Amino acid sequence: MKKIVSLAFSFLFIMSASIAQNSDKKQIKGHTDQNKFRQLKDVLPTPNNRRTASGAPGYEYTQQKVDYKMDIVLDEKTNRIFGNESITYKNNSKDYLEYLWVQLDQNMRSPDSKTPLVNSEKLGNNPYNGPKTFTKNNILKPADFGFKIEEVKNINGNELSYTINRTMMRINLPQPLTPGGTFQFNIKWNYLINNSVTDGGRSGFELFEDGNKNYTIAQFFPRLAVYDNVEGWQNMQFWGRSEWALEFGDYDVKITVPADHILDATGELLNEKKVLTKEQLKRFNKARTSFKDPVFIVTQDEAELAEKERSKKTKTWHFNAKNVRDFAFASSRKYIWDAMAVNINGKTVMAVSLYPKEGNPLWEEHSTRVVANTLEEYSKMTFDYPYSKAISVHADRQGMEYPMICFNYGRPNPDGTYSERTKRGMIGVITHEVGHNFFPMIVNSDERQWTWMDEGINSFVEILAELDYDPNFYTGNLPKDIVGYMSINQNNLSPIMSQGDYVKNFGPNAYTKPAAGLYMLRQTIMGPELFDYAFRTYSQRWMFKHPSPADFFRTMEDASAMDLDWFWRGWFYTTDYNDIALKEVKKFYLTDQPTEKAKKMAKRYSMDLADYEGKLVYFKEEQKGEVNTSLIASEIPLIKDHIASMSDKEKSLLKEIPNYFYEVTFEKPGGLVMPIIVELEYKDGTKERHNFPAQIWRYNDKEVSKVFKTTKEIKKITIDPDLETADIDTSNNSWPKKDNSKFNKFRKKLKG
Amino acid sequence: MKKIASIFLLFTLAFTAHKYYLSLTQIEYNKNQNSLEVIINVFMDDIELAINKEYDVDLRLTTKEELEDVNSYFQKYLRENLRFSINNKLVDYSFIGKEYEGDLVYFYLEVKVKDKPISLEVFNTILITYFDQQQNIIKFKNGSERQSKILSKNTNKALLNF
Repeated sequence: MKKIVSLAFSFLFIMSASIAQNSDKKQIKGHTDQNKFRQLKDVLPTPNNRRTASGAPGYEYTQQKVDYKMDIVLDEKTNRIFGNESITYKNNSKDYLEYLWVQLDQNMRSPDSKTPLVNSEKLGNNPYNGPKTFTKNNILKPADFGFKIEEVKNINGNELSYTINRTMMRINLPQPLTPGGTFQFNIKWNYLINNSVTDGGRSGFELFEDGNKNYTIAQFFPRLAVYDNVEGWQNMQFWGRSEWALEFGDYDVKITVPADHILDATGELLNEKKVLTKEQLKRFNKARTSFKDPVFIVTQDEAELAEKERSKKTKTWHFNAKNVRDFAFASSRKYIWDAMAVNINGKTVMAVSLYPKEGNPLWEEHSTRVVANTLEEYSKMTFDYPYSKAISVHADRQGMEYPMICFNYGRPNPDGTYSERTKRGMIGVITHEVGHNFFPMIVNSDERQWTWMDEGINSFVEILAELDYDPNFYTGNLPKDIVGYMSINQNNLSPIMSQGDYVKNFGPNAYTKPAAGLYMLRQTIMGPELFDYAFRTYSQRWMFKHPSPADFFRTMEDASAMDLDWFWRGWFYTTDYNDIALKEVKKFYLTDQPTEKAKKMAKRYSMDLADYEGKLVYFKEEQKGEVNTSLIASEIPLIKDHIASMSDKEKSLLKEIPNYFYEVTFEKPGGLVMPIIVELEYKDGTKERHNFPAQIWRYNDKEVSKVFKTTKEIKKITIDPDLETADIDTSNNSWPKKDNSKFNKFRKKLKG
Repeated sequence: MKKIASIFLLFTLAFTAHKYYLSLTQIEYNKNQNSLEVIINVFMDDIELAINKEYDVDLRLTTKEELEDVNSYFQKYLRENLRFSINNKLVDYSFIGKEYEGDLVYFYLEVKVKDKPISLEVFNTILITYFDQQQNIIKFKNGSERQSKILSKNTNKALLNF
């Protein structure tokens, strides 16, 4: 040991001498810790008793509660919706609140909205217009959308002071709301409903040729903003893209609509005997025990009859929802209605669909079944679905989620035919939107701040649910699917950890990249067992609570004993990509003849290799055109005799003697660190996998080497053969370099 | 053509689950053949919508009713929206074929180069008229050298050097 130490010292000495010489010329700057494996201490917030270092809610964690009681009237003639809303705000924090903030989402489309003002515009891109478009874009006054606030009063009927700043309304409390205190107030409002097909929007109505409408109504009432210890009041304006942060609470909602409408909403229907016919009730009860197939509550024939009439009467549907963060509903006389029961760990949950005849035959075949499958698969990955139902509503061009109800696209051609893509799109969007019940409706992250926490995590679980529905499903969210995005110019990329309103390439950034990253963590880096336990822990710790990104990152590590700081930092906080390449393969064989390299080394130590004849074996690099004098290890007397001298017990510890030695050098043109997955293919066609953890790059971020000692000759070496790590350039992934270009493959395919 | 603007408006406003507007044109210089091998991938839904509207047809891609002469529409659309110039001279290309994969269509094109290539200009307006957020990525590989450019409604040409 001594020798080694002194050698190491003399080496250090030489090094420092050479550095000293350099410093005469120019100063060499030092650096702070830039290692890719440095911990996230500089990035994550300091843990506290509300959010612990383990990623769990701490013992001082609190959350506000907001209950709503509403009377809603939908006027189909004028497309106006009227609301009388009573809000009970419970301050569970230890803070005094001087004011409350209420979200007025409809104001995003009001005539004085600033959303159109912040969008860059060029005439040159639209060199021509038809008369309709010209009129719409240049002559038409903006429609009078946006909330009309009729009154804001306290429970004694006295007016409350309030201030509206675009999509946010501040209720100026007469005196600060004390910790533990409750404040009750009423808002009366109405607004003009947008046509979601022509005006756009996540909610609204679709107008059919016969004048019928399909109302998919959400963000329709003033809703309390979140107050917590991360953002204070989350009152960033609603510009139209980044979604919501909302408190949990109980809802009691009465909705009055034309009497011939079918309506469903978040929560339990309290007056089903009043609003449903006896026959409908009977069928609904049948659906409650039908676990295999959906049961029609309203058939297509009945829906087609209903849509020919226009009732002048109204009907009031009464719903009650406990512990939800929002409320939405859908209403139309066009609806076909079907439902089936789903067994979630012994509890029955209803999977429900509402769709006009335009959705068939696709919807009656798939919608409710996809809802059921989604609830089952997501429950396995997270927690048992706690609500009583999940509804999928057919809506043209929409894909939007609310608690227990979502609006989904997927419309066949008018003649009822549809492409595989339409079907796949429909299955994909229903899985996705029903999946949102888990993220963010229950694991309630702040959507306004972090799009990926609900869209990305949800898109990840969506992959697993879709592959369960159809093992050949094209999910579009796998690591190989994000390669195109990750290799575009850096100035068009944003880190995942960016606020949603300014993210470039929103879809791949906030949906696909986080989903692909989590899929890679599960399949390749952690393994399903460790990943699933940690992921379930996160979901259960934060169900009905407000997690932040740090809570997710910390829980995934805390529950698995995997240090993933390098992964979060690279994949979530940077725009770096992965590119690992095979730089060089050197093949060595065994010989008893001293090699040049060995001779040189011997000389340095004043040794004469002649003295060691028959005592050493040498690794000789194979050179082209040179006579191969390789020996089979088991036939080299030196080794053979040594093994023969071993006891049986020692021998039992030996594996097969290798004859081939491959020194493989990997380089990393990409900025991310990733595991190196290597496939060796032997001459006899058999294959072997090696998986080197990402930490292989901890000392040298540019280049690392490995020696493969094999009994058989290697024919081919491939990095990441199954495209698991989003390597953006696979042309440098194999040895010998083969022409694996897609172009030539296609040309060969054409030739047959 | 009247319909174009309103369709375009719909798509930019509609909110869908994970829709984005991207195409990728990969160009590789094959020194031995003195040719450019070009692979373009576009979203099937988007190219189908664009061609249907542009030429008033109904392609019905990947269904049993898919039009027989679908390749001629693809070629026509590409000729109008994709051009290559080498050393400032417009060059022709041959359409090798197309391939469907998941939600994507791949087009394979080949450009025969005559002189020693110095510069390559790519003009690409694929889907730009129909989708406001469309981005067309150009990747160029010449031996071990790589360049990439991104085109959008604001820029429709990329200049690359050999």
